[in-house]
Parts: sequence; structure tokens; C-alpha cells
Amino acid sequence: MSQGAGLSFEQAPPFSVPLRFLLTAPLFLAAAGGLVAFHPEALASRWTAPALALTHALTLGFLAMVMLGALMQMLPVVAGATLPAPRALAAITHVGLTLGTLALLAGFLFADALAWLAALGLLATALGVFLVASAAALMRAVASDTVRGIRLAWVGLAATAGLGVALAASRAGWTTLPDVAAAIDAHALVGLLGWVLLLVIAVAYQVVPMFQLTPPYPPRLARWLAAVLAAALLLRAGAILLPPGGVALIDGVLAAGVLVFALATLRLQAQRRRRLADVTLDYWRIAMASLVAAVMAWGAARAWPAWAGHDAYPLLLGVLFLGGFAVSVVNGMLYKIVPFLAWFHLQAQLQARAGSIPTMKEMISQRAMRGQFRLHVAACLLLAGALAWPPLAVPGGVAMAASALWLAANLASAVRRFRAFGGRWA
Amino acid sequence: MKDPAGEIVLDARGLEPPEPMERVLQALALLRPGQTIRLLLHREPFPLYPLLAQRGYGHATRRDADGSYVILIHPLATEAG
Repeated sequence: MSQGAGLSFEQAPPFSVPLRFLLTAPLFLAAAGGLVAFHPEALASRWTAPALALTHALTLGFLAMVMLGALMQMLPVVAGATLPAPRALAAITHVGLTLGTLALLAGFLFADALAWLAALGLLATALGVFLVASAAALMRAVASDTVRGIRLAWVGLAATAGLGVALAASRAGWTTLPDVAAAIDAHALVGLLGWVLLLVIAVAYQVVPMFQLTPPYPPRLARWLAAVLAAALLLRAGAILLPPGGVALIDGVLAAGVLVFALATLRLQAQRRRRLADVTLDYWRIAMASLVAAVMAWGAARAWPAWAGHDAYPLLLGVLFLGGFAVSVVNGMLYKIVPFLAWFHLQAQLQARAGSIPTMKEMISQRAMRGQFRLHVAACLLLAGALAWPPLAVPGGVAMAASALWLAANLASAVRRFRAFGGRWA
Repeated sequence: MKDPAGEIVLDARGLEPPEPMERVLQALALLRPGQTIRLLLHREPFPLYPLLAQRGYGHATRRDADGSYVILIHPLATEAG
């Protein structure tokens, strides 16, 4: 019973530490939607400047923003791993990631040397400081399947950031890389699977059974899945060193690992104890279905080389993995994390008698969350449809931006309640 | 020493966190002198313990054969006196 045994809120940082990340992230998601609406050519090829800006608005501005903020809350509470100087760490990481991502988007869109310089300095500082601080915490953490998975995801983040810095320096013209295409492939693959997916898997071991009241993940799966995926990624990142058949084999292992995680999660969710409607649960199901669809699109590309060479293929993988899977999981988790923290800090600060403060479920209107969920699903469908029929890109981008702003408003309503009932930041 | 009437039974098995915690705090507000709470739960509520201690309550936890937990909650003053 190592899962959850270390759960202790005495270690929790102040509300403002994670909250600033969680409230900034939806604004980048809205910016990503706006990018698609104003530059629909972002969905024509993954190599256009708007497509690269869009990808980084999603991965750094939304996903990394929430994930780093949530880890600052989660590492002390779940792993018993306190972070050094949490307030200073949050300030540096949040400001650096926010301004650095904006500068990076400007660098991609306007090819401006000053923007590249600012992006490089700010993002390297923000991610570097976070990586060092979290490494110190992760080394002391109480080992569990979740902690082991987060450690592997940490390596994925470090590798993605390192490759990103090298690529940015080469794009700005300060250095030349021996093989830019291989570096870009490794950056994308390690970022999406080694950081985003491994972190989601590690966190799922904890939150799916706890919040969705399912049986635990099978112990052998929880023990090995993240490690097998990490080993396959390591081999794949050094693909140049592999024999010809090796890459196909490793890709097969990665696809099988993704599929195992998605199907195991859907199966657990089908076995949950209480069958009440829950928006976060639906977000997770959409996310897992998107992973399955992404593996199918990948499999189709193995069978039909014409599809593998089509411009729409990597974009469909991107829409399914980033929009359908990663944004969905993170959006769903935001609907648990923010109301829970608002409720938790309120009762802790006020030593409140029950009934005198709202319950966690009352922090955000259930109807508003459900409406925002439907809009998000519509946005994903429109964006996937736009790959086949480009006129759908503009409504898809608008729906994505609107859904992100609705998410921001829903999270803000929980914070307003927290303040209205006398919650303090410190 | 406690008769069953002096006990509030709270079956929070299968409730989503933090509902069990919310219900315990609710029950604490209703607790009269001499009364205790018997909480039934599907997992051990580690985050609850410091909250109870802060508010001046003690607890005794036992794991049942079916894997669920029984947590007896009582005011610390009662135990001392």
C-alpha cells in the first residue's frame, strides 16, 4: 500500500504557488486557438511558422505550465518531497515560462533574433531552475510507482529542454547542429512521450483509483510500463545507431505501450464503484480514446506508405495526441485540482465548521464544466476535420479559444468563492 | 465504555475525496459531549489525521478483513478525563 501512504497536506505549499500556473495556462490555450483562427495554414503543414508557434503554445504555455505548477503541489504532498524555497521557485519558474513562451511564439512567428535570445534565456532559466529544484526533491522522495514514473518524466523534460535549447540556438543562427531533422524528431518524441505521457501515466496510478474510485492499476503494469516506454524512447532517440529493422521494432514497442495504458485505464474506469456522472472522468475517457485513435493512425501509416508521407498524417497525430489526449487530461485534472485546493486551503485557514464553507463540488458550477467539456470536444472534432476539409480550421480555432476562456472563467469562479469566504493567499 | 447511542456512524465507503473528509468535519460539528464517530472508509485517510489533531480530536484506525478501514474518532479531552 505504498500508493497514498505518504499523502500529507502539512507539506502543502501556499495556494498561490500552484495557482498562478493553473490560472495562466488557459490563456495560452486560448492563444493557441486564436493562432489557428487567424492562421488556418497552421493546420496545412507541421513546418509552417504558425504550426510551430501553435505546438509550443500548447506544450509549453498550457501543458508544461499546468504540469510544473501541479508538480509543485504534488511532490511535497504525494511524494513527501519538499521543494527548496517554494515561493522563489514558483516566482522564477512562472515568470520565466510565461515570458519565455511568449518570446518563443514571437520568435517562430516573426523570425526575430531578439525574441529568440529572450526565449532561450528565459526558458532555459525557468526550466533549468525547476529541473534542479525538483531533482533535489525527487532524490529524497519516498519511492512508489508514481515517484518512479515522475523521475523518468523528469529525464524526459530535461532531454526535451536540452534539445529545445540546441534547436533554438541553431534556428537563431548561433550554432549549427550536425543533423537538425534528427534533433527535431528526438525533441518532439521525447517531449510528447517521454515527458507528457510518462508524467500522465505516473499521475494516473495515483489519481484514477483515488478520484474515479476504480480498482488500482495491475501492479505489474504499474511497475514496468513507464520503464519499458522510457527504455524504448532512449533507444529510439539514438535511432541512427540502430540496425534498419530496429527502429520499426522500437516504434512497435512504443505504440503497444501507449495502447496498453489507454486500454487499461478505460477498463479500470468501466469497473468504478460509483457510477455518477463526472466531467473529469469524461475528460479522461476522451483522452484515452484519442490515444487509441492516435495509435490507429500510426498503424495505418505503417500499412500505407502514401498516408505516412501525407502532410495531414503528423498533424492528425498532433491533434489527437496534443488536443485529444494531453489537453483533455490536463483540462479534466484542473477541474479537480483547483476546486480541491480552494476547498482545502479554506477549511485549513478558517478551521471551518462544516456547512460554513462550500464543499469541493460547489466550487465550480457542474453545468458550466459540462458545457465547457462539450465545447472542447467540438473543437477537437473540428480541428481533426479541418485536416480533411480546411474550411473547418477557423471555426475549430474559435471553438478552442472559446473553450479555453470558458475554462479560465470556471477556474476563476472557484478562486472567487475562495476569496468570498475569507480565503487568504499567504 | 461507550454505548452505541453515543456513536455517530459514518459510512463514507465509495465516496470521492474529499467527501469523506467533508462529512467527518460535518459530523464533528454535530458531536455532543461523550459522543464518538465511527468512520467506515475504503482507504486509509492519512490527510484526515492532522486535521483531527488540529481540532483536538484523537483517532484509532483498524483494517477490516474486507480491506476497508474503521476509524474511531473521539475528543482528546474525553480520553484524558
